[in-house]
Amino acid sequence: MAKKRYAMVIDIRRCIGCHACTVACKAEMAVPLEVNATWLKIVEKGRFPDARRFVLPRLCNNCDDAICARNCPTQATYKREDGIVMVDQHRCIGCKYCIASCPYDVRYINPLKNIVQKCYFCSHRVDAGLEPACVETCPTRAMVFGDMNDTKSEVAQIMASNATVVLKKEMQTNPQVHYIAPDETAMSNVEKEINYYTEGTIIKLKI
Amino acid sequence: MEHGDVNVIYSVEHQLPLIMYIGQYFFFTGLSAGSFVISVIATLLGRKEFKPIGKITALLAPALLIIAPLNLILDLEQPLRFWHLFVYYNWTSPITYGSFLLTAYPIMGIIYAVMVYTDRQKLAKIFGILGIPLAISVHGYTGFILALAKARSLWNTAAMPTIFLVSAMVSGIGLVVIIAAVRYKWFDKAATPETRETDKKLILQLAQFMAYVIMLDLFLILSDILVLLTAHSDAYEAGMLILTGNFALLFVGVEIILGSFLPIFLILGPKMRNSLTAVVVASILVNIGVYAMRFVMVIGGQTVPLS
Repeated sequence: MAKKRYAMVIDIRRCIGCHACTVACKAEMAVPLEVNATWLKIVEKGRFPDARRFVLPRLCNNCDDAICARNCPTQATYKREDGIVMVDQHRCIGCKYCIASCPYDVRYINPLKNIVQKCYFCSHRVDAGLEPACVETCPTRAMVFGDMNDTKSEVAQIMASNATVVLKKEMQTNPQVHYIAPDETAMSNVEKEINYYTEGTIIKLKI
Repeated sequence: MEHGDVNVIYSVEHQLPLIMYIGQYFFFTGLSAGSFVISVIATLLGRKEFKPIGKITALLAPALLIIAPLNLILDLEQPLRFWHLFVYYNWTSPITYGSFLLTAYPIMGIIYAVMVYTDRQKLAKIFGILGIPLAISVHGYTGFILALAKARSLWNTAAMPTIFLVSAMVSGIGLVVIIAAVRYKWFDKAATPETRETDKKLILQLAQFMAYVIMLDLFLILSDILVLLTAHSDAYEAGMLILTGNFALLFVGVEIILGSFLPIFLILGPKMRNSLTAVVVASILVNIGVYAMRFVMVIGGQTVPLS
């Protein structure tokens, strides 16, 4: 049997911004207060009546070339055969270098256990043949999870037939969470000026 | 825009991973490496008037390097698991090089100090030469710790290890000047006027050397800033943060003006020549400046938002 490569596709056109994935993740992974393994970034653009809200579900990208795994000094962060990036909670010494290295800000210190944690694509559920909690909860099926190497899987077929992007491609980490139709300002982390068109005039925006 | 037409309504930002323990650690290893290099230079030149400085610095280097890693262990979320670093090492992580260098370098430093204090010149020279690459790597690798954390645009530059080495040299010489001046002032009464004169001359020469190293440091910082401002948007953001943003006071005010330009002026200024007070004030300022630099790098580097 071919090697598995788990990946996720998030179709933003379907996302209604209900935060169900955030709640499901909190409950499934026992994520403490103040930190999040999955969350929605919400951006509002425009001025009434031409206003619109854009959402971007965020979680660990489980990168193919994960900088966290490369920089972890104790091999507590490692990649599984199927591509999921794990943190061994008994080996992590909490040096936090992985958090400093991660371009996506998806790692956090568990304030109760004093170790670093993140999203593992719910590896325990995946091993049991289930989908990650966020995917199972998503009411609009905006999140799809599966084996990218299996051409018959839903995730591979969506990837093959849609234009997808990843966050911060320039970081050379090969993220495995792919997005369909995300908003550019929601994806960007820095302020910059853009041209925004409303009522026939161009407004310079600082975002 | 007077008020934003694009607003981030909700996002999650996690806490800063590395706090000032790390910056303090960088500062102490820098002092240690700098004073070790000075000590070995003094031993290698072998002149009689260099001996006292060679002795003081030979003791300082390992002493500072025993304090430094304590900061690292305090910074760990699980301090009692620090031994995992040696058992489960990962050769692609700069922290792993560090944990072995931080073990080897103090041992070499202690052997060298014993040789210096027991006056075995030849062995002291051999261990000194062997120790210099270790001293350089023990501080150089801290630059790689920052440079290889590619998420942070302020850190991710090839100049980082060199900037760290040069600023370590600056702060190390500064510390040596302060200690040598204290010795000259209060613990050197028995000496003859001639040796006191050579001691003073030596301190002034060291300070002049420091001024030239500060100039090299300033050049490196200038080239780093210029590249930051012309590179990608994250790097521009980081450059503006330390030039005009929240860290401008510490970076421009303390690091550049108080910690670099003022000391150069105090040391090389025509009126202050031959003034021991000016040189000591300059050395204190230099160390404050280098400490500020560590703060700006470690904390400032992490305040550019990632998501």
